[in-house]
Amino acid sequence: MATGIGGQGIQLLAKTLALAATRQGLHAMLSSEVGGEMRGGPSLSSVVIGDAPLHALPILEQTDTLILSHHRHSERARERLVPGGLVVVNADVVDEEVVPAGSEVVRVPAVGIAREIGSPQSSGLVLLGAYAARTGLVDHHQLGAAMESLLPPYRAKAVPANLEALRRGAAVAGGDS
Amino acid sequence: MSERQLLDGSTAIAKSAIAAGMSFFAGYPMSPFTHLLESLSKHLPEVGGTCINAESEIEGVNMVLGAAAAGARAATGSCGQGIALMQETIGEAAQNETPFVVFNMARGQADYFQCTKGGGWGDYRTITLAPKDIHEAVEHTQLAFHLADKHRSPVILLGDPLLATTQVGVEITRFDFGALPAKDWALDGSTSGTGRSRQVWTWAMGKVTDPGLGMDQHWRNIADKFDRIAATEARHEEIATDDADVLVIAYGSAAAFVEHVCRRLRDEGHRVGVFRPVTLWPFPGEALLAATEGKRKVLVFEVNSGQMLDDVRAWTHDRRTIEFIGGVSVHESGLSFGPLLDAPVIRERILAHLPGGSGVTPPIPATPMETGVVG
Repeated sequence: MATGIGGQGIQLLAKTLALAATRQGLHAMLSSEVGGEMRGGPSLSSVVIGDAPLHALPILEQTDTLILSHHRHSERARERLVPGGLVVVNADVVDEEVVPAGSEVVRVPAVGIAREIGSPQSSGLVLLGAYAARTGLVDHHQLGAAMESLLPPYRAKAVPANLEALRRGAAVAGGDS
Repeated sequence: MSERQLLDGSTAIAKSAIAAGMSFFAGYPMSPFTHLLESLSKHLPEVGGTCINAESEIEGVNMVLGAAAAGARAATGSCGQGIALMQETIGEAAQNETPFVVFNMARGQADYFQCTKGGGWGDYRTITLAPKDIHEAVEHTQLAFHLADKHRSPVILLGDPLLATTQVGVEITRFDFGALPAKDWALDGSTSGTGRSRQVWTWAMGKVTDPGLGMDQHWRNIADKFDRIAATEARHEEIATDDADVLVIAYGSAAAFVEHVCRRLRDEGHRVGVFRPVTLWPFPGEALLAATEGKRKVLVFEVNSGQMLDDVRAWTHDRRTIEFIGGVSVHESGLSFGPLLDAPVIRERILAHLPGGSGVTPPIPATPMETGVVG
């Protein structure tokens, strides 16, 4: 699951992950719940990836991994993380006290990194880069290609910064890129 | 088109309808049906078909009636609120034997009566398919067109917001449901000016020079046809029902949740089974009668105040075993399900009626007013 607030790029990162997995020959499911507000409302995405046809429920009972991009509206997703599950935390934003105890935590200064590369809106993709590198679920280059094909034409100029965001995230998590 | 693609349910249904040879679609946007209309407006013209954003639901369904009467595979859609406006035409089409498909991408499960009991005038039924997930919706889309043509009748595919917006890797393949009769009744212009031009008419009165069957015989024929459909087209699925002590009945997306929960309960040693009506009309009553014989409890889960429950009561072996464990649960937006449709919540409702349970269904969780809009 990926949870955050509208405007943080939760929906794009989840779609990127699901599309990259599909193109890699895996089976993927993606379901989303977003607020009526464009920015600031709840944004929750669930992605299930497997190597056989999926019949996962669109509302997940539990999740093995969590991308925690904001503490607001995050309770439901946090409650469903399995004990000892992986949490990728947006460390510049998230209140440390909501990080589930006993989980495997990767803290990513995603907002700072996104600002550093001159693309503050790309922090979600920094988190995704870190997540993908730590889990090894999808290939880094597939992620970049999937992100590129999901952007509308008028956003094409954001591609280089987004690729850099994925790469920097992967570097934080210690993955190769 | 056999490559696996990541598609939302609406696009998967759209592509499956196109694979089925649908050449005409008309509808009016209303969430969550809008996704399907948008997808068809993009993809149907790519294969030479026509997709019209009509000025209203009434206009849309009547355009479809015209296209279908001319022999085209045609469809319309909306959510329950818009289907309500189409009911007159759906009823007329059932009685003048014009086949088309209606996609009811409903906002929840409150439209069971609307689909299965009709709402137009006259002595008719509407075949209704309720897929449990997107994979099945792809197949049911093509089955709906097949059944419509086979029986010369409107067919409803009943979806919901989860089906409309969830994305999953699917392959759109062409299903073969067998041969169909020629559409020798279609108003294709071939007999115009001969004095024997064809008619598609609810009243079957014919013309002065070419009398029809008349209402009495025509409507008897229609009634006989729906009897045949009821006897031959009911579909259902059973999971672990044979040795089950408790049976849970559910349809559509809700059945996928119930199935998931019951498989877990089975793993934990509970003797619980699932009965899922796949066609809501014809309701698989004879099969339910057999499946419920000797069961200690028959639990009914649907996200409404108890609509399918009526059909279950009519067919369950011993009505005293029935417990309704569904209920009303609407998302804050009004556009989707509330928190009742969630595996842990359903689990508690089933557990209450298993051996050792309290026997009392827990209250439905309240809808939080800050969760936002699905889709």
